[in-house]
Amino acid sequence: MSRLVEIQQQFMQYLLSDEGNDDHEQIKSVMQANVSNQAGISSDIRLAIYANAYRIRLKETIETDHEMLGLYLGDDLFDKMASDYTRTYPSSEKSLRQFCDALPEFLQQDEFFKQHPIIADLALFERRLLNVFDAADSHRASVSELQALAPEHWPSCCLRFHPSVQIFTCNSNAVEAWQALKIDKAPPAPNYLSPRAWLLWRGESRLTEFTSLSEEQYALLFGFIQGHNFASQCEEMLNWHDEQSAPLMVLQTLNLWFQQGLIRAVVSNSTDFTAPTLGSL
Amino acid sequence: MALYVIIYIEPSSYLQRPIKIGYPLSDKHIKEDFLGFGLGLRTDHFEHILQHQPDIDWFEILSENYLVAGGKPRYYLEAIAEQYPLVMHGVSMSIGSTDPLDMDYLKALKKLSNDIQPKWISDHICWTSIHGINSHDLLPLPYTEETVKHVAERVRIVQDILGRRILLENVSSYLSYQDSTMDEWDFLSQVAEAADCLILLDINNIYVSARNHHFDPLDYLKKIDPRRVQQFHLAGHSDFGDYVIDTHDHDVSPPVWALYKAALERFGAVSTMIERDANIPEFPALYNELLEAKNIAKLTLPDHPALARSNFGARKLNKASQQTSVVTQHAMQQKLRG
Ligand SMILES: [Fe+2]
Repeated sequence: MSRLVEIQQQFMQYLLSDEGNDDHEQIKSVMQANVSNQAGISSDIRLAIYANAYRIRLKETIETDHEMLGLYLGDDLFDKMASDYTRTYPSSEKSLRQFCDALPEFLQQDEFFKQHPIIADLALFERRLLNVFDAADSHRASVSELQALAPEHWPSCCLRFHPSVQIFTCNSNAVEAWQALKIDKAPPAPNYLSPRAWLLWRGESRLTEFTSLSEEQYALLFGFIQGHNFASQCEEMLNWHDEQSAPLMVLQTLNLWFQQGLIRAVVSNSTDFTAPTLGSL
Repeated sequence: MALYVIIYIEPSSYLQRPIKIGYPLSDKHIKEDFLGFGLGLRTDHFEHILQHQPDIDWFEILSENYLVAGGKPRYYLEAIAEQYPLVMHGVSMSIGSTDPLDMDYLKALKKLSNDIQPKWISDHICWTSIHGINSHDLLPLPYTEETVKHVAERVRIVQDILGRRILLENVSSYLSYQDSTMDEWDFLSQVAEAADCLILLDINNIYVSARNHHFDPLDYLKKIDPRRVQQFHLAGHSDFGDYVIDTHDHDVSPPVWALYKAALERFGAVSTMIERDANIPEFPALYNELLEAKNIAKLTLPDHPALARSNFGARKLNKASQQTSVVTQHAMQQKLRG
C-alpha cells in the first residue's frame, strides 16, 4: 500500500472517530505519527483543528437544513442528535445538500429518538420542503389543455405532475409544530391521534407552498400520481360522494390543481399512452 | 548521400494560433484574458444583483450548489449568467485522493459548464474523500514525488474530460507531514507543470499557511510561474495568535492586502475576487471591499492596459481615488521583503 493511501486512511479514521470510540487514543496516535513537529502549536492542536472543523461543518449543515427541528429539540438534544447522526451516517455525497438525507431514517431507528416519533416526522417534513425547493423545473399545463380534449377521451385521461409535487404523510402533529415554531410560538404537545396528509409543491412564483389534504383529497391526488385515469378516480370518489357530485368534485379539484401549477401534462390513452406489450417487458 | 527533406509550414495561420486539441496544448500563452474584479455569488445577494445590476466584472459560483435539478438556485444562476461572466469553483473533486475519480461528479460538472458557459473551472489541490466518505474539508497532501505524479495524472484525466485546462487552488493548512520532501510552492509548481494546468492563487491561504508553518509568504510568490496564475482569491481569516484559521467570515485583513500588493508586483493584472462564506454582509459592503482591491491594483500597476478594461466601480473609483482609503494606504506603504 502506498504511503499516500495509508496517510489518507489514517487521517479519515481520525476524523471519524471521537472520544466515544474505545480505540480513539490509538487512532489518534497513529495519525499523529504522520504529522511533523513544528514550532508554534503542538501536533495535537493541529489535528484537533481538522477534527473540529469536520464536526462543526456537518453540524451547521444540519442546523441550516433543519431549523425548526433544531428549535424543537433545543441545544442539548440537537447536539446529541448531530454527533450521533454524524457518527452513524458519515457523508458519502459530493454536496452537503444530501448530507442529511438519512436523518429521518436515523431518527426512526435510533433507540433514544424513536421514543418520540414526531421528531423523525419533523425531519422528514423538512427534507420534503428542501426537495420542493430545488426540484427540476418544467412546463405547467393549463386547464385549457384538458378542455381541448374530445369528451370521449376524458374518462381515460391521466395526469403528469410538476417535479416539485410531494405528498407528506405522518401520524403526528409534526407540521402543526413546524408551523408554530416558524412564527416563534411554542409547539403544541405531540399527539398521534390520526394519520395526516399534506401536499407540498413549488408554484409559479417559485415559493414553496404546502396545504393539508382531507382523506378524499389525498385519495384523489395519490391515485392520479399513481397513474390512475379520470374515470377510475371518479369511481374512487364514490366512497365520499354520490354519483352526481363525484365527477363535479374531481373537476373542481383538477381546476384548482391547474391554477396552483401542479400539473405538468394531461395525457390521454389515444395520444400519449401505449400499454406495454409482452415484447417490451 | 543523405536526402534532406525540408517541410515548409505556412506560418500565417498555423504558427500564430495554438493548436486546439480539446484545450490549447503547450503554447506559451495558456491563460484566459484578465476578467477584472469579481465576487463569490451568494444566495443572500441574488435579489440585489438582479435588481440593481451592479457593475461587478464577474462572479464565481460554488459548483456544488448548482448540481441540483432546478428551482430557485438554478433560476437565479441562469438569470445572472445572462448578464455576467461566470467562473465555476468546486470543492469536491478530491483531486489528490487515492479513490478513483468520481465520473458522475465530473459529468455533472461538465453538464453545468455546458449550461452556463463559465470562463474557467477550478478546484483545490488537496483531497476531500477516501473510500467514498467525504470529509467536506480541503485536507492537505504530503508534498512528495509520489503525490506530484499521482495528482498530475488525475488532473490530466479531468482536463481531458472537461475539454479544458482547470485551475488548482492552494489551500490553507494546519499541519505538515513527516513524509513531505518539498515545500508547498514547489509541490504546486511541479503539479501545474506536469499536468499543464493553471493556478488559482489564494492570497489569504498563502498568508494563513505562512503563519501556521512559519514560512515567508514572499518565498511562495517568488516560486510560482506567472504564466500559470489565472486567478487570485482574497478572503478574511480568524487570527488566534499562535495560529490562523481560514474562516471567510471577516473582511480581508491588512497583511493580506499587503501580500496582494506584492502578488500584483510579481504576477501583474490577475483576475481577482473576494470570497465571503459566513457572516455575509449586505452586498454594498462587499462591493466596497472589492473597490479596495481595484484601488490597490491601480496604484501598484499604474497604466496597466488590462486594468483599464475593467468596468467595475469606474465612477465610484474615480471619486474615491482622490482620497485613498486607509486600507489602501496601509497596503501601499507595506514593503514586504523576502
Ligand atoms: Fe480560496
